Amino acid sequence: MVERIEDLNLPNAVITRLIKDALPDGASVSKEARASIARAASVFAIFVTSTSTALAHKQNHKTITAKDILETLSKLDFESFIPSLSQDLEAYRKMVKDKKESKASKKDANMPSNAEDATTIKATNNESANE
Amino acid sequence: MASEELFPNDHTEELDLEQELNEIADKSTEETPHEQGEKENSPAAAEDKSVATKTPAEPAEHEAKLCQLPIARIRNIMKLDPDLHVASNEAVFAVAKAVELFIESLARESYTYTAQAKKKTIQKRDVDLAISAVDSLMFLDGAMNF
Repeated sequence: MVERIEDLNLPNAVITRLIKDALPDGASVSKEARASIARAASVFAIFVTSTSTALAHKQNHKTITAKDILETLSKLDFESFIPSLSQDLEAYRKMVKDKKESKASKKDANMPSNAEDATTIKATNNESANE
Repeated sequence: MASEELFPNDHTEELDLEQELNEIADKSTEETPHEQGEKENSPAAAEDKSVATKTPAEPAEHEAKLCQLPIARIRNIMKLDPDLHVASNEAVFAVAKAVELFIESLARESYTYTAQAKKKTIQKRDVDLAISAVDSLMFLDGAMNF
């Protein structure tokens, strides 16, 4: 759980980097403006989450999925985020898959025979689930 | 909606492409001094080499590249919602990424007001103006002053 309220703030260094990357060269951001944008970002996260939970609840889902988030974003007039976000999600899925595969192959190396079959089946199952 | 045009977001992809190109460039500059003979290895070439050897991304590094914001903290923020039962890892990642895009768009939007005032540094005033001008940012009204 969250113990201190500061634990909910996003790291300043990352916020500054994201802002500067979005701006033309030579542009910068004042401390107050950065704090404002950071606060807006936290509020945005809560806003998206609560809208998604409401959406999932309506469809009798208990678990919030990436699809719920995408649907929520288009509902909230942030459609412009979706193409880039879908790409990032694809990259994320691929990374998770690769990780699982490398883990599985490590396991295979350690314990051959029956265990090998079990892990490969698991890996393929996960693959199809991800797709 | 007007807000769609105000929030264009094709920059991330371009950045990635740029990075890739840089990596390719790094590697090619690394290879040329080798062919010319080892004595000619300048300090700059050696630097290129160290960059190139680092780039074959380890898993942890790769993950950091995918999302700059800390995933755990995003999850904590999401947990503030009392109605949230479970959120999949993918959903948390999606929110984190959406927040990144949000920060970039809000920064760009704010900067239009900075530029209008012929300034280079975004002030709080510019952010406030951006928030009140864009319809999809209505939800921030009242959440910003406490």
